Amino acid sequence: MRALTIFKAVFKNWMRSRSGLFFSILFPVLLLLVFGAIFSGVGSSSKYRLFVQNLDINATDATPSELSVAFIDALNSTETFGINEIPADENATEYAQEVLGPLGGNMRILVISEGFQNDLLNGTLKVRVGITYETMDMYYWYVEPYLTDSQKSAFQQGLAQMQQYNATIPDAKASLTIMLDPADSSATIVKSIVMSIASAFNYELIGAENVVEFREASVTTKHYSNVDFYVPGITAAFIMTNGIIALTATTTEFKRRGIIKRLSLTPLTKLDWVVGNVLCQTILNLMLAGIMIALGWVVFNVRVIPDAFSIALILLGSIMFSGMGMALSGFIKDVEAASAIGNAIAFPMMFLSGTYFPLEIMPSYVQTISKALPLTYVAEGLKHAMIYQNPEGVYINMVIVAVLAVVFIIVGSLVTRWKEK
Amino acid sequence: MGKTVVEADSLVKRYGQLMAVDHISFEVYEGEVFAFLGPNGAGKTTTVEILECLRPLTSGNARVLGYDVTRSEDVKEIKKRIGVLPQEFCALDKLTVKENIALIGDMYDRHLDIDEVIALLDLKDKVNEKFENLSGGLKQRVGVAAALVSDPQLIFLDEPTTGLDPKARRDVWAVIANLKRLGKTVFLTTHYMEEAQVLADRVAIINKGKIAAIGAPQELISQYGGLKILKIRGGDKALASLLQKKYDKVSLNGNGDVLVKIDDVDEFWRVMATLAELKINKDVEIQTPTIEDVFLKITGGIITEEGELK
Ligand SMILES: Nc1ncnc2c1ncn2[C@@H]1O[C@H](COP(=O)(O)OP(=O)(O)O)[C@@H](O)[C@H]1O
Ligand SMILES: [Mg+2]
Repeated sequence: MRALTIFKAVFKNWMRSRSGLFFSILFPVLLLLVFGAIFSGVGSSSKYRLFVQNLDINATDATPSELSVAFIDALNSTETFGINEIPADENATEYAQEVLGPLGGNMRILVISEGFQNDLLNGTLKVRVGITYETMDMYYWYVEPYLTDSQKSAFQQGLAQMQQYNATIPDAKASLTIMLDPADSSATIVKSIVMSIASAFNYELIGAENVVEFREASVTTKHYSNVDFYVPGITAAFIMTNGIIALTATTTEFKRRGIIKRLSLTPLTKLDWVVGNVLCQTILNLMLAGIMIALGWVVFNVRVIPDAFSIALILLGSIMFSGMGMALSGFIKDVEAASAIGNAIAFPMMFLSGTYFPLEIMPSYVQTISKALPLTYVAEGLKHAMIYQNPEGVYINMVIVAVLAVVFIIVGSLVTRWKEK
Repeated sequence: MGKTVVEADSLVKRYGQLMAVDHISFEVYEGEVFAFLGPNGAGKTTTVEILECLRPLTSGNARVLGYDVTRSEDVKEIKKRIGVLPQEFCALDKLTVKENIALIGDMYDRHLDIDEVIALLDLKDKVNEKFENLSGGLKQRVGVAAALVSDPQLIFLDEPTTGLDPKARRDVWAVIANLKRLGKTVFLTTHYMEEAQVLADRVAIINKGKIAAIGAPQELISQYGGLKILKIRGGDKALASLLQKKYDKVSLNGNGDVLVKIDDVDEFWRVMATLAELKINKDVEIQTPTIEDVFLKITGGIITEEGELK
């Protein structure tokens, strides 16, 4: 109840301060503007971007099979593709969408199936044995009149054995799947180049028949503008800066001006104080995120529409970071220290959590660090919700964020010191 | 004398080497205005904030309204029952007078009608004014209103008039006098001699963490204030030296007035007779000693307008 009163008071106080409103909106919009401008031109090199996912990995030593590597080398040797390899354990479309995010462009994915090498070798062997059989058979047809009966039966036995043997070779064709976006104007060119490389590869191996089966699948690149991909990250980063920097600064300012002292002289509890402030920042964040995304629609042609999951995550993320801010301001004395400490925590976290640059293209140690940063989960969750519309990817992040939110609020009310020395 | 609402017994607060509060003991009784009078750094705020449960004490005992300030269950009870104007009171800048008073009121289970409190402090014209736009005096009045809104049994006012101009100061005095009329118990701190003398039923003179004297202003004055002074306006050195032959304590002040300290009425008439003999016809007035004289006597200094001891 008192938390609600505190919420109403600080909220009103905030809403009436024009500078607060101005900076809270200006900051993320500027970021959006900067990133939008930087990346809108990149990625238009003369090579065709092609994602390749090699699923043909040797079980024993976890290395890709020689033939699949040779095939990728063959693709590379054409110098027409800019190839991005997708790790085997990733969801190919999501991964490609993510990397494409900042760069823009269409999604083209070639998947080398598991067993590519095996199937290719078997296929080649079967074709070779078949060719040998047919050659022998034809030869037999020519020479039959001149053979003795025993020679004939030996020949026929040999042919029969050969046929039997060939039947034991699995009749698999090594498969390649190419996924292209029908809306992609370069799709047919890319497809024909890949196909011709595959057949060249065929000839190289056996000289003739197709042992590589070529499958096509169509994918739809979700038509987001470049800026769209920054929306989840910027929203997450902005929730964080509001919690860690802005809320810490306002509460430290309240402390400096003796407002907290005045309130601490009443029956108000620390938990009520913390919850009231967290609530206020959370509502502000929801509003500001709404304003930001709306601005994105109007100014940057953003197409992202936040769904219920995104809103829930923004809510939980705000609670978490505001709780963190309250925990920080619990032991920070002055406003300068508050903003210094807030910045020192917020900025590295912003860049190490994949909010601006996809984690996938970061060094692996960054990926490891990112797992320890709460922002990662908000950003990841929002990405899954806003861009991929993939609820499964949201849940786990949401649970982590919710747990951290409760933890920070409790820590916040425990470390808040009201007594003077 | 009402029952005891504040009891401090050998209270000590130490900051490292500094004894901010040095074994002080005193009581505050229900319905009185009690004042701590002392220069900056005397230990007023420290003592008051220990009683408000805002600072821990180093040693000694303190009870407020019968509750022990060091026990956390008691602290809750104390907080419900006291109203505080902290030194350098501040409120939320963008909220109005009314909203700020209501915010403090809502922290309690019950509170007085906000409009009544506003009327009591004569803030009606300013109800919807934002706190940031108020003058210092009005801000202090909002602070007093916030201290009153929970209808507390005991009100602490820490330097309620420091930094105010004389007019605003007198307005706040009127408010405090009004509280006294309403039967409130008020614990006031100040470095203004006059404030203590005008408002307080009892004054404790505090200096360097110790209570130097405690009592009703009149008691203190008669105990420490010394003699009354007969002031002869527009006197001169000649007159002063003439009088000096007959009386011990004659001096000249900066305005050229001759001052003669007198023990009693008889002495007054004797001086008057002497003046008549000398055919001196000048304005004469009698000055009674004030708390300032008491303070001078006890501490050997006076407190400046800024609160420094000189
Ligand atoms: N938190 C603190 N840490 C160290 N010294 C303090 C602290 N608070 C007050 N003091 C010192 O204690 C003494 C009494 O201060 P205070 O109670 O504020 O005096 P007053 O209110 O009478 O002006 C002063 O010397 C002051 O510097
Ligand atoms: Mg003080």
